Amino acid sequence: MNNTFRCPEHPDRVTSYFRQELGPLLIVTVTGIFYNVGLAAGPLLEGQLAQCLLDILRGQSPWTAMLWTAALYVAVTVFVQGMRYLKRFYVRRFANNVNRSMKHVLYNTLVHKSRPELEQESVGGMMTRAIADVDTCAEGMRKFTTEVFDTGVAMAAYLALLLYYDWRLALLTCLFPPVAFFCAERMKKPVSRCAAAYKESAGRLNGATLDRVSGAVTYRVFGLEENRDRAYETRLADYEKKAVTANLWENAMPPLYRIISMLGAVPILYLGARNVAGTGWTAWDIAAFTAFLSCYTKLATKTSKAAKLFNSVQKARVSWQRIKPLLRPPVEEPALPAAAPAELAVSGLSFAYPGGPRLFSDVSFSARPGEIIGITGPVACGKSSLGKAFLCETPYGGSIRFGGRELSGLTPAERGTVVGYLGHQPELLSASMADNILLGDAGDPGPWLRAVCLDRETAAMPGGADTLVGDVGVRLSGGQQARLALARTLCHRRPLLILDDPFSAVDRETEGQIMDHLRQLASDSIILILSHRLDLFPSMDQVLWMDGGHVTAGTHASLMNTCPDYAGLYLAQAAGGGKRHE
Amino acid sequence: MNKHPLRRILANTLRDAWLLTLGLLAAVAGAIVCGLLPPLVLEDIVDGLTSGGAVSLRLAWLYFGAVAVSGLFETAKEFLITVLGQKITRALRHAMCAKLSRLPASYFSAQAPGVTSSRFVNDVDTVEALFASGVISMAVDVCKVVSILAVIFVKSRGLGLLLVLVTPLLFAMTRVFQKRILRAQVENRVAVGKVSQHVPETIRNIRMIHTFRKERYMEERYDSAIQESYRAMERSNFYDAVYSPIILTVSAAVVAVMMICSSLGGGMQAFFGMSVGTAVAVIAYVGKVFEPLESIGMEIQNIQSAVAGVRRIGEFLEEPEQPSADSSITLESLRTSSQPPVQLTDVDFSYDGVQPILNHCGFTVNAGESATLVGRTGAGKSTVFKLLLGLYAPTAGTVRIFGADATSIPNGVKRKLFGCVEQFPRLVPGTVAEQITLWDDSISREQVAAAATMVGLHETISHLEQGYDTPCTESLFSQGELQLLAIARAVAADPAILLLDEITANLDVETERRVLDALQKAAQSRTVLSISHRLYRETGGQQIHL
Repeated sequence: MNNTFRCPEHPDRVTSYFRQELGPLLIVTVTGIFYNVGLAAGPLLEGQLAQCLLDILRGQSPWTAMLWTAALYVAVTVFVQGMRYLKRFYVRRFANNVNRSMKHVLYNTLVHKSRPELEQESVGGMMTRAIADVDTCAEGMRKFTTEVFDTGVAMAAYLALLLYYDWRLALLTCLFPPVAFFCAERMKKPVSRCAAAYKESAGRLNGATLDRVSGAVTYRVFGLEENRDRAYETRLADYEKKAVTANLWENAMPPLYRIISMLGAVPILYLGARNVAGTGWTAWDIAAFTAFLSCYTKLATKTSKAAKLFNSVQKARVSWQRIKPLLRPPVEEPALPAAAPAELAVSGLSFAYPGGPRLFSDVSFSARPGEIIGITGPVACGKSSLGKAFLCETPYGGSIRFGGRELSGLTPAERGTVVGYLGHQPELLSASMADNILLGDAGDPGPWLRAVCLDRETAAMPGGADTLVGDVGVRLSGGQQARLALARTLCHRRPLLILDDPFSAVDRETEGQIMDHLRQLASDSIILILSHRLDLFPSMDQVLWMDGGHVTAGTHASLMNTCPDYAGLYLAQAAGGGKRHE
Repeated sequence: MNKHPLRRILANTLRDAWLLTLGLLAAVAGAIVCGLLPPLVLEDIVDGLTSGGAVSLRLAWLYFGAVAVSGLFETAKEFLITVLGQKITRALRHAMCAKLSRLPASYFSAQAPGVTSSRFVNDVDTVEALFASGVISMAVDVCKVVSILAVIFVKSRGLGLLLVLVTPLLFAMTRVFQKRILRAQVENRVAVGKVSQHVPETIRNIRMIHTFRKERYMEERYDSAIQESYRAMERSNFYDAVYSPIILTVSAAVVAVMMICSSLGGGMQAFFGMSVGTAVAVIAYVGKVFEPLESIGMEIQNIQSAVAGVRRIGEFLEEPEQPSADSSITLESLRTSSQPPVQLTDVDFSYDGVQPILNHCGFTVNAGESATLVGRTGAGKSTVFKLLLGLYAPTAGTVRIFGADATSIPNGVKRKLFGCVEQFPRLVPGTVAEQITLWDDSISREQVAAAATMVGLHETISHLEQGYDTPCTESLFSQGELQLLAIARAVAADPAILLLDEITANLDVETERRVLDALQKAAQSRTVLSISHRLYRETGGQQIHL
């Protein structure tokens, strides 16, 4: 089914999730009503069974009468329980569907957030926590839906049955369950207060444990072990007290509420017996008597549990409030093909992070398809920021035109067809080598692995190109990570490639080979290479020297003559025999 | 692994709380017996009714009383289980904490603190859960089933036989269901793990994702993980949804068979034979037999995980311990001995028994003298400190502090014997003043202030919002100030021997100056052993080459 991941019309409204799940909810409604009304049939038929047995024992009915009654009882039970199964299953499927939809929408929102937005720590953390919130929320929606039937409909059905048998007695006895419910409600505050105190105490105890263990040697050296053991003991004592109190409220109280509810049994037994004897409000047989009592017992049990369920709905509401702002209508962007090669014209470019100083200004150069431009300068000269200006994550000053169109004027989707960027971080996925290169596209990763001289190493891996690279690529060396990221960039080639320090962890010889491959594979792309290693700069079409916020453009040969700093750096590296500078 | 320490803890706790234990046993017995009562009263009532009698108000109250008393016993049982369970887990944690003081220092260097903490927290929690809902409830549930079966046998032999046949089958089904549900839940947890890992991965790689327009691909990867979780949940939901209906249907079938058999007459009726009242009571009982089945199955799960937890706790408590100290040694006896404060004789040492760290190392530092340990990295300078502090025993030779074997000195004496300033001082939980006193009440506020003044921190601390009573956090002080605080801490107890471990290695020039000044003041009339070239230059004294 292609339509597995449905997304509601208004993902930020709870009701639209209910509306989206109309199918399962309809089944839940029908089966829920059947089941809960049918529930009342249980006590009714059990009464009939007793009555039937009485009739047989008295010789008023043949034994076959029992066969029919028992068969009916079983048949009704099978039907009712069948309905119950369907109701239970579909209400769970409903919650599961909602859970899946919410997580889907949540992720869609996340993946379309911009990097600066995500870099605010709170957003990233919130997103991570939101997943857990969805679970709580969907669970709460399930419990709410369940309770609409199991408490609402069932109690109504029980009540109707009671009223049917003897309305006066029903009204009299039904005074008690609300009292129990009221008590439970009143106790909600101390219950949650004690539960919170218990959790806090547990947190303090855990903190004390970690401190006692991790500081064990220090405490020994200072002769503080006894002192710390005593401090730990106070935490333990506090924890014990809080745990006992919290448990007392949480688990020991419900039986008491049930006792209050069961007070209603006294008038039932007394007055009900008078009904049977024919001296009461209504004439009853044994069946009516037992049915009324067992029906009432079930009603009493339900009320004693009702308060607990409101808590989970309350919890769900809190979770929902947290995730609501993160649920946005889905963004669907068209998949555009890579843009055609064109000329690049940069003029008067300047750049500063919000609130920060200007890192460089008045950068101008132009390039034709197929040109490779080397950009270098001393440490912290701003060359990485020059590369990032092309990403338009932060607005730049001046102009960057590709094929005559201003980069900042393009939509993110359009910009994605023009600029290919590879930063310092390889940004690898916890997936296979092949997946990291192809990113879901069809094809063979082989050529790209060869292009970055990673093919032999990959072949030596246990799973070849299907080898998993681990979280953040931990199973690869730094050089392998960088080359894998470069292979990915080549596989998803754009007419303008920005490569920030792609060869930092690669030896000189390999660097040369990769550069050759780069020229062949990206013959009509403009490639900007930001690097502090200058071995390959003589072969570049242009060289930009950045220093103190200013840029000198030229070729390797011209800069060697006109820019003494560049010449110095190049000669120093050449003398060092290509020694790495990382 | 034998569980002797655990068994001892359990036995001691139960003995100390014998009243509570007896109370719990009484509550359990009460809950079981009283749980049986209401249907019996009901039987009486219905039988009275069928024979045309009326129900006295007394009988009606009796029924309610039976319900109420069984409810009260339930409450008492729940409460006492919690209290006793908490007592036992507290005793466990107490014993584990006491064990920490007896473990050799090597244990702490080999085990990550998180792992050991998890013995205290997670493993004891499984025991706690076991007590909250496990063993005792399970025993209670088993007793309930047995007692109900017994009553049914008395009332109706036929039904009893029927139930004895059906119950094990249902129990077997319960276990099968639970295992399947567990398997599905484990799969779900794995999938949920993938989902939650996917989010930070996306945040980390968001630039790559945006640059390559791979939002769709990332969504597909994510969706396949939530789909896995969805499928696992569906399976778990199926078993979850179908279990209870099956149990109730079986229960209805049993009641139907019983009723038909009772109405057959002849031998069958004699076998099942019951009055109408019995029938009503028994219908109530049948439901009660099946109720505990589900919880018993559930508790087996808890017990399994608790067994694993208990085994790990047992292993922790069985860890080899260091030899106990000589309690006859006091600070007084040490300081009044005329032996040199520090004396190493022909010491060999190795952490792992393979790689020797110290070889025939020997030196003496007399009272009031300063000495500096010199040697390349790894020569064992810090190791010498550890030997002096009695954290490790030498492989050969002797390490004597005022003539006493270093490992035999009780830890309680050490605070006033050694003033140890570490390279990275550890903050203790508490106020700024407590960083200096280390909770020693005999150190007055004036002495604290004097120590702080000596290291030049008094000003800084006085400017804090609550002065010396400010809760201390890492961010309150710079690295250099922390060193100064550690010196104040060492000096405040007026120790006989100062041990200084590379304390100026990470400081800037200005702070270093302050630290050295403070140390020079502190070193007067004390025995000082340091690992620091710069301090040596300031204070002179002997150099010990390692």
